[in-house]
Amino acid sequence: MNKLAAQSKMAGIVLFMMLFLSFSTEIKAQNSDKEQQEQVYVKAEIKGMACPYCAFGMEKKLKEISGVSNVTIELKEGLAYISTLKKQKPSKENIQNIILNAGFTPGKIMYSDTPFVKKEVKKD
Amino acid sequence: MNQNKLIILLVFFTTMSRAQGPPITTQTPVMLGLEGNGIRTVGKFISKEKATVYVQPIGIPYNITSKFQIGGIFPYKVVNPKNGGAVSGFADLTIFAKYQLYKKDGKAKTFRILANVKQTFPTGKTATMPAIGSGLSQTYVGFILGKISSKAGFYSDFGYTLTNKGATDSFSYNFSVGIPLLEQKYPQKQLNTFLEFNGNYLFDPNTHTVFLSPGLQWIPGRRFLLETSFQIPIVQENIAVNKTNYMVLIGTRFLMN
Repeated sequence: MNKLAAQSKMAGIVLFMMLFLSFSTEIKAQNSDKEQQEQVYVKAEIKGMACPYCAFGMEKKLKEISGVSNVTIELKEGLAYISTLKKQKPSKENIQNIILNAGFTPGKIMYSDTPFVKKEVKKD
Repeated sequence: MNQNKLIILLVFFTTMSRAQGPPITTQTPVMLGLEGNGIRTVGKFISKEKATVYVQPIGIPYNITSKFQIGGIFPYKVVNPKNGGAVSGFADLTIFAKYQLYKKDGKAKTFRILANVKQTFPTGKTATMPAIGSGLSQTYVGFILGKISSKAGFYSDFGYTLTNKGATDSFSYNFSVGIPLLEQKYPQKQLNTFLEFNGNYLFDPNTHTVFLSPGLQWIPGRRFLLETSFQIPIVQENIAVNKTNYMVLIGTRFLMN
């Protein structure tokens, strides 16, 4: 009788853990979707970025933009990708000035609510 | 393999080149990254007919803006004559300024021209035999050019040095082409080779030296590189005594911030 009670208790614990994991994964996914919805993605053309050793200065300056946590540089394409919260979205003029101050020439600045497809997948 | 074949082979490889890191014995017009606020030191071992010389300069540049850089070069020198005792100490201090005169940027390519001014002060001791310093003030006025793209990179610097106390003026010129041995990516792990020519012409008396300088450079990350170059004299005109046999450079650059 005691053995049956112990087995029932164990089954209950396992069921609870499964339900908990399932809910937490769902909540996590919902949070991730929410975070993505709150993000704005920026693709910036940077002219003159011809060498890896000088791209470092550009990366540092882009990281100084408020709310930017990750920067990806595509050297061959002359592109930089950043993402930040929508409420901290940097203006085109702000990004252009940052590129100029880093010693390069700004090209097109594009915004998107979804991540851009990158040719070189090399993330910092 | 004779020297001419070696030159042809190196030039052939450079025509197949893509972009590269900063050149080793030639200056770059890109004042960014490791060429911006980085510290550079290159140990130079010079084997001459009558002495060996070791120079360890530390170069510290500082970017006022992305177009304007100032800095100083502080060399420590050891001279070891074959018929005497070694002498060592800090040699002549140099301060410099670089200003970007022209820039044309494109997608993964750039062409830049800088003006370059250097002033060397006679801070090295001259009372020793041999002397560590030149005892002369020298003013250099020159230009730095570079065309860098994802397929090829070419660098050059040249300039005139005015010297006081009636000593000879000089004209120096350097050319460089780099070859990346690894695919261009960022963040980078780069292995680059360089072929460089380093010339110097003294006017009174007329002497002309040209060195061929193949080099190798390893960039393991964003903030640090290692480089080495072997300089072979290919022209030593009107130098009767104490010719240079060869020079070996081993150096590093480290980005502070």
